[in-house]
Amino acid sequence: MALIASFLVAIAIGAFSFGSRTMRGGAVGAALGVLGASLILGSLRFCMFGSEVESTQAVLGVVLAGAFAWMFGAGAKAVLGQKSADLGSGDIRTGSFKLGWYWPWILLSPTLVILVFFLYLPAYQTFTLSTKLTRLGTPIVRDRCLQNFSELLITSPALLVMLPLTSVAVIWGVGLWHRRSEPGSAAHGFTRVIRPFGILLFLFSLYFIFESENGGYQLIYLNTLIISSSIVILSMVIGLGLAYLTFGHVRGITVYRTLLIWPYAISPPVAGILFFMMFDATGGIFAAVADNWFGFNFPNYSTNATLARLAIILASVWKLIGYNLLFFLAGLQTVPREQIEAAAIDGANSLQRFRRIVMPALGPIAFFLLITNLTFSFFDVYGTIDFLTKGAPAGATSVSIYEIIRVGIETGQLGRGAAQSVVLFLAVIGLTAWQFRQSEGKISYGSA
Amino acid sequence: MKKLLALLFAMALVAAACSSEEESAGTPDSTEAPADGEGDAMDDEEGDAMDDEEGEAMDDEEGEAMDDVIEIEMWIAFSDDARLNFTQDRAAEFNARQSGYNVVVTPFDSYNTVFEQTALAIEDGSPPEIIHFFEAATQDALDAIDSNGDPIFKSVTEAVAGRTEILGEPVVLGDVVSAASKYYTINDELFSMPWNTSSTTMFSNMDILSAAGITEPPTTWEGVEAACTAIAALADGPDNCITWPNHGWFFEQSLGQAGADLANNDNGRSARATEVILNSEAAIDYVQWWSDLEDSGAYVYTGTQRDWGGTAAAFNSQNVAMLVYSSSDTTVITDDATANGFDVRTSFMPYNQDRPYVGNLIGGATLWMTNGLSPEEEDGALAFMNFFSNPENAASWHKVTGYIPITNEATALLESEGWYDESPNSAVASEQLDAAADTPASTGALLGNFVAIRDVVTLAIEDILVNDVDVDVRMESAQKEAQGLLDDYNELFGG
Repeated sequence: MALIASFLVAIAIGAFSFGSRTMRGGAVGAALGVLGASLILGSLRFCMFGSEVESTQAVLGVVLAGAFAWMFGAGAKAVLGQKSADLGSGDIRTGSFKLGWYWPWILLSPTLVILVFFLYLPAYQTFTLSTKLTRLGTPIVRDRCLQNFSELLITSPALLVMLPLTSVAVIWGVGLWHRRSEPGSAAHGFTRVIRPFGILLFLFSLYFIFESENGGYQLIYLNTLIISSSIVILSMVIGLGLAYLTFGHVRGITVYRTLLIWPYAISPPVAGILFFMMFDATGGIFAAVADNWFGFNFPNYSTNATLARLAIILASVWKLIGYNLLFFLAGLQTVPREQIEAAAIDGANSLQRFRRIVMPALGPIAFFLLITNLTFSFFDVYGTIDFLTKGAPAGATSVSIYEIIRVGIETGQLGRGAAQSVVLFLAVIGLTAWQFRQSEGKISYGSA
Repeated sequence: MKKLLALLFAMALVAAACSSEEESAGTPDSTEAPADGEGDAMDDEEGDAMDDEEGEAMDDEEGEAMDDVIEIEMWIAFSDDARLNFTQDRAAEFNARQSGYNVVVTPFDSYNTVFEQTALAIEDGSPPEIIHFFEAATQDALDAIDSNGDPIFKSVTEAVAGRTEILGEPVVLGDVVSAASKYYTINDELFSMPWNTSSTTMFSNMDILSAAGITEPPTTWEGVEAACTAIAALADGPDNCITWPNHGWFFEQSLGQAGADLANNDNGRSARATEVILNSEAAIDYVQWWSDLEDSGAYVYTGTQRDWGGTAAAFNSQNVAMLVYSSSDTTVITDDATANGFDVRTSFMPYNQDRPYVGNLIGGATLWMTNGLSPEEEDGALAFMNFFSNPENAASWHKVTGYIPITNEATALLESEGWYDESPNSAVASEQLDAAADTPASTGALLGNFVAIRDVVTLAIEDILVNDVDVDVRMESAQKEAQGLLDDYNELFGG
């Protein structure tokens, strides 16, 4: 039954994502969808639909079928769309090398070799490994189908499907309501305000699809959400604030700037050690100061989940600020001075000038920083955590990258580690795609 | 023509790039290889080994080819000065005695790291000749096979093959003390060469204890509670009364004391363990007692798992009066206490007075020998391992650290020297192990995926200590998780 469902889903999504309005286009899309679905499910030998396999795996099978149907449908559409654009537009998009057709390939080959051997091949191996049971250092491998994934999730297939779908439906509904309502009406304004919160609703709904039992993935998801979003938001806001402050003409400004940029040169593990030396409850500097000068017991961050998370966030934000500051400073220099002066003459106060002129001009830089900061907070934070808390207390600072290494390397469960890294991969892809969609049309890169 | 020229130019570029790479890779070897007499490649090896194992493996082969000295690589889990220097000094002595051999010691910062790195080296097909594995990795090491299905390690008993001397070094394998040989004997033979072996002992700051009116270190849980109440009443007493690292080993020790098995099939001794038991009454009692002691403020949790450094520092700085710890650091802790001006006494690990005492078990590690070595390499590795634990070396290893003397002859040597009269704290671990009954529970468990299962226990206890969750509920869920890990392991290796 789940098998039939997955092919129905594949047909629908394939046809829909191919985006053709004709009957023939729909059929082609459906065929592409079925092709995509059977490729992925076939490569796993339809193992998730067996009678003794738990139903969460079947649900994941349907999701996989849908995802691949979409990839094939939308991919084909993009390729065909590109082709027709090439034919239609006046720009020169194609050409040939005088020296022969193989020249571009020769010139590209170093990059391609690196990409294939250091990116695509390991990624492919990770995907394969995520469906296996094996240990570090042994050649013995057993098939696990999608169990490495299903054990991260709740056991109820109904909730697993309903929770994300409901939140997506709500977000879609609000969007639709916004477009259909009269501009200027109360509903229009209301939906405009609540629309950006859609992502929060979606993230919130995802929280409940993860296994909550002790040792489950729910805690890891929560940690990652709290720590990563705090790092990104705080470091960007503070970075922008400091850049704005050090942009003006103040005496000794280069000294301030240099000092502020310094932390960026420090590697994440060293940041972890530094903050450990400061905040450690027994041997730390702050503990000594608090104890000797003020006579109170400095709290031990490693036995308090909130403080431990705060320590990780602080150490990472402190390290990232310098980087953000650098880019924001560069960005500020591109803001046209005449516009600011003109606005000032027109009576705009500094806050208004900042919001209406400076912020839009910084858009592209901010977007770039958002992506790089997010990558940092997802991946590079490992070093800081490893030296500061090691995931303590009771896993409260174990974010997804930390858990991947703990599970996959330290306890040698390669398959589980690979499955978790696939989850992280999907999360990063998803977030990046969402950011691109959000920023579409809102960010101007300056050219006409 | 132009085309041809361009192609030639491109080829020349590639060739230049390749040759320059070769040169840069080759240079350090050619300058470093003819180093001075003692220990040849050893010195450069040490430097390389830490950052780059692959490079090191390459160097070895080249070194072997150049002169006829056989390299024996040894990976150990000690990187602190005292233990690493001891090992390197013995290796240097051995290399001086045996001109045809060169033992190279590579340090790693923990047992887990050696375990991980070995797993990776096995995957590469280049494991070292001698590997220092801790007790929890015993089953994993026994089961380890390479891609051809051959075992990774070879039984040292089998390799010794009844010889009493190898390359002139007397074989001491048969003289290993009973607590250690019981633990590591599998199918009636010692598969690996026991080295550092300890037990859990308690260190008491006698200055604080006697200020509170206690003359002898407490031996039972009740005794600890009473002592802590008395110490808490001191006007200028320490912040907390007692601490020990949150390490799965202490949990296992407590099960041994109460005679409870950690796994079925006689703790995995009569047949492969298929069920892990983390929720027995004895286990719940211990974790509950630990948690209650923490709630009362007597026990202090440093907040870090396996925090050997932090707990010892708390004891040294007299922030706690008692420390349950590994006997491996008896010498250091005693010396530090003397330096800090207080009197320290070692005693047995306190046990639950409501259950008959069965016995404490060992902890520590053994030396494993890789399978598939040439006869010369094998003899070199065996000769070194036996030289390394000969009575003099085993005795001085005990003095440097506090690990028990690993052979009966070494014990006798220490007794004849009067060492135990001079340093009574050092005798406690051996006495505790000798006092243990001969049962599977007090021998210790043989269990697959033990390292990961220990992690589950440690995490559950941390959750209980920090978040005050219910002991029964939390241990039940730890039990499920650990059982899943063991099932995974047995699915791979149990067939």
